[in-house]
Amino acid sequence: MSKQKKRDFHVVNHSVPRRDGRAKVTGKAAYVSDLKLIGMAYAKVLRSPYAHAKLVSIDTSRAASQPGVYCVITGNDLEGLDPYYGHAVKDHPLLAIEKVRYAGEPVAAVVAVDERAAFEALEYIDVRYEELKTVLTPQEAMAKDAPLLHEKKFEAGALRGFEGDVTAGRGTNLCQEHHIKWGDVEEAFKKAAAVIEGEYYFPMTYAYAMEAYVAIADVNDNGVTIYSSAQHPFMVRHDLKSIFNLPVSQVRLIVPFVGGGYGSKSYTKIEPLVAACSWKAKRPVKLQLTVEEAMLTTRSDDAYTWMRTAVDANGKIIARQAKIYMNTGAYAENSPLVVEKSTNRCVGPYAIPNVQIDNYSFYTNTVPASSYRGFGCAQVTLPGESQIDELAAKIGKDPYEFRLANVAKPGQEFFPKMRPFDGTLEEDLAIAAKAIGWKEPLARGRGRSVACSGSDAGAYPLTSTAVRVHADGSATIMTGSTELGQGSHTVIPQIAAEELGVPFENVRVVSSDTAITPYDRSTGASRTTTLMGSAVLEASREAIQQMVVMAADVLKVKVEEIQVVRGGVRCGEAQLNWSEVISRFYGLPDGEVIGRAYIRKAGKFSQLPVFWETACTGVEVSVDEETGKIEMEKLATVGDVGLAINPALAEGQDIGAATMGMGIGLFEELVYQGPQLMNGSILDYRLPRFSDLPKKVELHLVENQDGVGPYGAKGGGEASLNSMAANIANAVARAVGVRIRQAPLTPERVWRALKEKEKVKSQK
Amino acid sequence: MHQPKSVGEAAEMLARFGEKGRLYAGGTELLLAMKHDLLRYEHLVDIKTVPGLDKIEAKNSSLSIGGTVTHREIEKSAVVRERLPVMAEMTRHIANVRVRATGTLGGNICFAEPHSDPATLLLALGAVAKVQGKSGEKALSMSEILMGAYETALAADEILTAIEIPLPAKSQRAAYLKFQTHERPTLGLALVLSLDESGRAITKAAAAVGSVAPKPCRSEQAEALLTGPREKVERQLSEASGALADAADPVDDLEGSAEYKRHLIGVYLRRAFAQVLSGNPPGREKIAD
Ligand SMILES: Cc1cc2nc3c(=O)[nH]c(=O)nc-3n(C[C@H](O)[C@H](O)[C@H](O)COP(=O)(O)OP(=O)(O)OC[C@H]3O[C@@H](n4cnc5c(N)ncnc54)[C@H](O)[C@@H]3O)c2cc1C
Repeated sequence: MSKQKKRDFHVVNHSVPRRDGRAKVTGKAAYVSDLKLIGMAYAKVLRSPYAHAKLVSIDTSRAASQPGVYCVITGNDLEGLDPYYGHAVKDHPLLAIEKVRYAGEPVAAVVAVDERAAFEALEYIDVRYEELKTVLTPQEAMAKDAPLLHEKKFEAGALRGFEGDVTAGRGTNLCQEHHIKWGDVEEAFKKAAAVIEGEYYFPMTYAYAMEAYVAIADVNDNGVTIYSSAQHPFMVRHDLKSIFNLPVSQVRLIVPFVGGGYGSKSYTKIEPLVAACSWKAKRPVKLQLTVEEAMLTTRSDDAYTWMRTAVDANGKIIARQAKIYMNTGAYAENSPLVVEKSTNRCVGPYAIPNVQIDNYSFYTNTVPASSYRGFGCAQVTLPGESQIDELAAKIGKDPYEFRLANVAKPGQEFFPKMRPFDGTLEEDLAIAAKAIGWKEPLARGRGRSVACSGSDAGAYPLTSTAVRVHADGSATIMTGSTELGQGSHTVIPQIAAEELGVPFENVRVVSSDTAITPYDRSTGASRTTTLMGSAVLEASREAIQQMVVMAADVLKVKVEEIQVVRGGVRCGEAQLNWSEVISRFYGLPDGEVIGRAYIRKAGKFSQLPVFWETACTGVEVSVDEETGKIEMEKLATVGDVGLAINPALAEGQDIGAATMGMGIGLFEELVYQGPQLMNGSILDYRLPRFSDLPKKVELHLVENQDGVGPYGAKGGGEASLNSMAANIANAVARAVGVRIRQAPLTPERVWRALKEKEKVKSQK
Repeated sequence: MHQPKSVGEAAEMLARFGEKGRLYAGGTELLLAMKHDLLRYEHLVDIKTVPGLDKIEAKNSSLSIGGTVTHREIEKSAVVRERLPVMAEMTRHIANVRVRATGTLGGNICFAEPHSDPATLLLALGAVAKVQGKSGEKALSMSEILMGAYETALAADEILTAIEIPLPAKSQRAAYLKFQTHERPTLGLALVLSLDESGRAITKAAAAVGSVAPKPCRSEQAEALLTGPREKVERQLSEASGALADAADPVDDLEGSAEYKRHLIGVYLRRAFAQVLSGNPPGREKIAD
């Protein structure tokens, strides 16, 4: 694909206002909660109070006879279905069967005329549990006498785009392991001029989205239709197809607007349960979770990392080794992929000749962990980028200069067998450092840090689309990409409008209905602009090719004589726009042309990752040394996005991701006391607010058109999150001289570290 | 939902409904708890329709704030800002503007949530709650009305009609500071000092801490240590904060360990002391909201 120079663009690389903005701020945008089907009933879920218990008996008779109740469904009522699902392994029953594995696990559901009636009936379900010993941390899970969460072997799940093998179900609590190794780590550490070694903890976090999980299912003789707040409708379709043993064509997933995902809505969540409710109640059923219930549905994997990094006498990083134990909770969900990705992402965007990473995730009796924005990268960037600063301090180098000397260079094959590096980190770092005034003097109690990350992003390249050009020259894009708020429904038509040469307003999007829109693997891993964007670009060009042939037919000339111009064709004196080509071809002002594109792991997408998602963040913090409280003074984000199809939206993703990462750095953490989640509500779980935003914010984009996507674009939207926790830890270390290896850096943790420092000082 | 026309009628209704009924003001606490099924009532008695409870009045030596006055009204009130600026400033940092616009001072006190900002300040200011029930009226001090977490001395039919706050004398200065990183404060500390004419000695002190215990508390011992010549009191600050912390007896919870909270009491007592004596208007201190 020939590269257009930046300034030549008509529609892309312009911050056109987002398509859904007006509808959303005026409350007119329809989400699943707004939908109502004829005869629709409502479900409510009974959840286990115990983290690990045998289900001795469930008596639903009293609940079933409550006013307004259609039916009650439990794990005992699922005969005829295959009740286990899961993207990696099918370990997850849609309702607990025989036992429960975490406090909050769905045990039964009531379907009733309205939500209140369903809710009121829940307390009439009589469940007898027999408590079992719990396993709450990876350390407990790997103990010799640890009780097993899962006794039986599992079938593999869909595993779309998964490179390794799944480990789960081998008679231990090990859910997944992944290892990478090159060079000779032991030898390198022996030769090293300096080594940093430490243990780090990245917390369990919740990817808060304003919209909690919601789905409507209609299961009848024609198959399964589901409206859901799902990020990946085609993945969910696969799970439902196997639960109900139906052909793909009889399962339909429809996703209207989604009120935020951040990974929490990737893969299958409540859809199997709602579908089972509809199946049993024989009518459409809606299930809307509360935020508190959503917090019992998914979270990020927390990670215990031991890491060491070595430099030689010239300040070159020569080795990194890490051992990671992740806590995946009661079910695998997508965590096996998180394990694989976090293993890779441990290397960071650095060229390190000797690497060994060993990563294990364990089942525990906690809320199942799964995808979370950044996908395992934040978990390992806290140790990785902390150690870069720790090492720099140890050898007396400026951490910014130290990074410049060690980051992967453009085109460098820094990670064996993977795509050569496609970003420009030296440039990115320089911009971040300048933005926060790296070299300027600092007041007491203040510190700065710049940090970066590079993720093997884009998931798996399997994406298709159709671009329909209508007889009036307007166009409709059929896309399986979901609008989560990230702006895909603005960016995608920008690309089609650019290619077809038609006004942006005349290009519309139909999306995320598996019965109508062509297959797209997923909306995640920052892949949509790169992959769906490429597909839309190719499909637009394919439509143009067809219209060239049509024009030749209409003008009765050879195809070679037709010349494509913006918005139409020319042949000698004759000039036709697309409307004229189509109308004259069909002999009526009607009809259409359908351009198609299929993207697969071939051609320019044959090498993984699809792209390296690269970004830098820079922060300045101030620390109240008496209370330990951190204030964010400055933030800079640098998105290395190749080309921003819509700069304002790209920057919006960066500030959003950085704020989310700041939340983890400062206060976000799901806290368990024994087997109970203690802060499972947004009153108790502290999310970032507007008042937490750094006082000064600069958002930068680096656009070197070095990506594999349309016009040299590549993905963004996750990367600014990854380095934030490490950045805050580094800035605090530089501000007040304490190194904290655990996020979040709550005031009390900072205060304790300061106290410890005083103690050590006074002992000397 | 019932809409009584007088306090008497409301008390009558509450008495009649007993356990099944509850007074409803702004609903910012009540409706949330009911939505989560933590509380269930069949009857809600809307007190906002009762005339006369929504007034702020300055009397000679006290300020009276009606039971249904919202936080927002207090924070914007010219009378409060002029006569009791510390109250206006404290109120400005309660919750967020949506909660302040509907939440009432009466509801805040009567819900007895341990992390109340007003309760702590009002305790130090020596405020009194005016209460009316079926069988008459009474006045309760803050330490009398607040019994514990979510627990007040009010009977089912009793309504808080107003809070009366003694206006500080010219020689008195007050400050309220809080440490907050979560939805509600981790620590609130109110300090009211009376100075002698020279401004060099403290003749009377009231210090209250809140949020760290089931209800806000004061300590006689701490207040004795906070009285006397300024330099002496300054030297006694950490002892005073220890006494205050002993009285509050904080526990470990999600907001922090007992040890950390005891430490914060010391930091904030020192900051409040400095602020009161500097004569700066309260609120210069950065308060998270
Ligand atoms: C998100 C959030 C954050 C908050 N943050 C803070 C904070 O930082 N600091 C702080 O101090 N507070 C905070 N609050 C508490 C807030 O101040 C109270 O919710 C509010 O003041 C309660 O008033 P209301 O009128 O809504 O009470 P309601 O919810 O209507 O009533 C609460 C209780 O008091 C009873 N009641 C109400 N009025 C009377 C009366 N006149 N006589 C007798 N009983 C009565 C009711 O029966 C009920 O039991 C927060 C609240 C929320 C929801």
